Amino acid sequence: MEHAAEHAAPVGKTFVLGRFPSGEALVDACYKVREKGFDAIDTHSPYPLHGGDEALGLGRSRVPRIALTGGLTGMFGGYLMMVYMNAFSWPLNVGGRPPHAPPSFIPITFETTVLLASLSIFFGLLALMRLPQPYHAVFEHEGFRSAVNDGFWLSVALPPGADGKDASALLQQLGAKEISTVQESME
Amino acid sequence: MAAEHAAAADAADSLDTAPLMLGKQDNTTLTGNLLAHVWARPDKGWLLSFLIALSGSGALALAITVTLVEGIGAWGNNIPVGWAFDITNFVWWIGIGHAGTLISAILFLFQQRWRTAINRFSEAMTIFAVMCAGLFPLLHTGRPWFAYFMFPYPSTLQMWPQFKSPLIWDVFAVSTYFTVSLLFWYLGLIPDLASLRDASKSTLQRKVYGIFALGWRGSGRHWHNYKVGYLLLAGLSTPLVVSVHTIVSFDFAVSLIPGWHTTIFPPYFVAGAVFSGFAMVMSWMVPARHFLGLKHVITMRHLENMNKIILATGMLVSYGYLMEHFIAWYSGNQFEWFVFFNRATGPYRGVYYLMLFCNVLTPQIFWFKRARTSIPIMFIASILVNVGMWCERFVIIVTSLHRDFLPASWDMYYPTWVDITLFLGTIGFFSTLFLLFLKFIPAVAVSEVKELNEELQHRPAPVTVVTGA
Repeated sequence: MEHAAEHAAPVGKTFVLGRFPSGEALVDACYKVREKGFDAIDTHSPYPLHGGDEALGLGRSRVPRIALTGGLTGMFGGYLMMVYMNAFSWPLNVGGRPPHAPPSFIPITFETTVLLASLSIFFGLLALMRLPQPYHAVFEHEGFRSAVNDGFWLSVALPPGADGKDASALLQQLGAKEISTVQESME
Repeated sequence: MAAEHAAAADAADSLDTAPLMLGKQDNTTLTGNLLAHVWARPDKGWLLSFLIALSGSGALALAITVTLVEGIGAWGNNIPVGWAFDITNFVWWIGIGHAGTLISAILFLFQQRWRTAINRFSEAMTIFAVMCAGLFPLLHTGRPWFAYFMFPYPSTLQMWPQFKSPLIWDVFAVSTYFTVSLLFWYLGLIPDLASLRDASKSTLQRKVYGIFALGWRGSGRHWHNYKVGYLLLAGLSTPLVVSVHTIVSFDFAVSLIPGWHTTIFPPYFVAGAVFSGFAMVMSWMVPARHFLGLKHVITMRHLENMNKIILATGMLVSYGYLMEHFIAWYSGNQFEWFVFFNRATGPYRGVYYLMLFCNVLTPQIFWFKRARTSIPIMFIASILVNVGMWCERFVIIVTSLHRDFLPASWDMYYPTWVDITLFLGTIGFFSTLFLLFLKFIPAVAVSEVKELNEELQHRPAPVTVVTGA
């Protein structure tokens, strides 16, 4: 029976969770946990932590480049669209103004720049954050519901096969409360 | 001790006197008291207001139906007054929306901490106001079901929009503005929706808020990108909001009608937009902070700062009036001068003087601290400013049109019941959406307020201490 269960279901990702009393304690703990060789860690907090990016060892965000790409696409796309439509595909003589009238095309060029930049920021962000993702293993722990309200949590992703005892012990030593090991449900 | 701590922390800003947050708050109490109004059952006051607002929406549906069945002839518009209530209402609503973007984006870029408690509220107002605004040009097309003709799509007619027209610029400006405001608002809401999801008691609430929260788990790796994205969206919204009302003013300024064809219109419209928008935020915030129990995060300091902005933008608008009249005289153009002379002495002079009273005189009361911190005075003043700004748009549009170049074409405009019902109906529709927002979504940005609270408590001791009052 046990043997069958082991092979039937693939094993989901496992995380060790621990709750810290404050944002600062969590940020300090991040450095110490990473020193011990646990790199696949994440913080969970109701608001961005002061110094949280450095503590997790995150580099520069890719969002500005995504925004720039979107903005440039909107700018050139918008302008060329108007040139094509009003000067080539269907040249319209309105009050003797030239079919390709750069000053009149500026306002819409600006708007399409902002529109495309904003859309790429929004959808680029969702893609970078891999949201929407309604289910995540960390939600298996009922106490984790405080992470978006008043809790400061650290999650350590375990390599396959690890039992997480060393990570739990480390979190305990760093002063974390409510330490638990959660496994992704594969149902 | 706690109060002392808060007061000491707050005195670090040498010019700040009143605190941004009352009492000793922490993440737990803030979660509790900022979400409380969402969990509470709607009280009688809310239900009554909602019913009134809903009847307004019903009246709007009726007026729209009449307009669609009978056509634009159901309105009082005529030749020469081809634009009247419709465009007046459009400009008024769009302007009201602008305060939301100003508070959420521009004050964010300037790192004005007092923006935090009121941004969510104002952004919601932006979205609902733009929805109301968009309705009017749409209906004014006469056949709104063909409104998609205005977008550049490869049609079987083989025609494209005429991009040299300010009216097409408007289509792009308003639709971009609505889209960007919605994205900005929703992005800011995600952490709070997650907060609602995880603080909820019932499974239904957990599921519904869970869907909209997209699975947000406050991850540090998410915040890392989120913060940058939010800042960039704020950065983009700032020139956007200026461009939108500039383009709205181009609808007039690019034409050759005396009274419209002036270069001061773009900045003057933007200032007016911010002026009326702040007044509208004030008109809603004063009752909302009382009834939703938000006085500890939306303090007198917030209200006073807003009144200062109303005063400043009111002065800008007054300067706009002054220059407009001066240039009309100085230009020596008889048609231009006639328009302004006619505004003050013609048949619509009542609206003109009401405009001057509401927009020029009323905000002057905010020179006095007592008025800036008096709830009844600021509430009444904010209503008057809204009335005044509506009058301003009416004066600009109708008085410029009703006296055409040829005296033989002169005519008067009187609104019909459909015009009036449409306008009042949009107020009802706006209120309906706003009341639903206040019921189902936290009225203040919970996550941002917690971050602010953290900052206020951990602010390093100032080198030069100004004794706090």
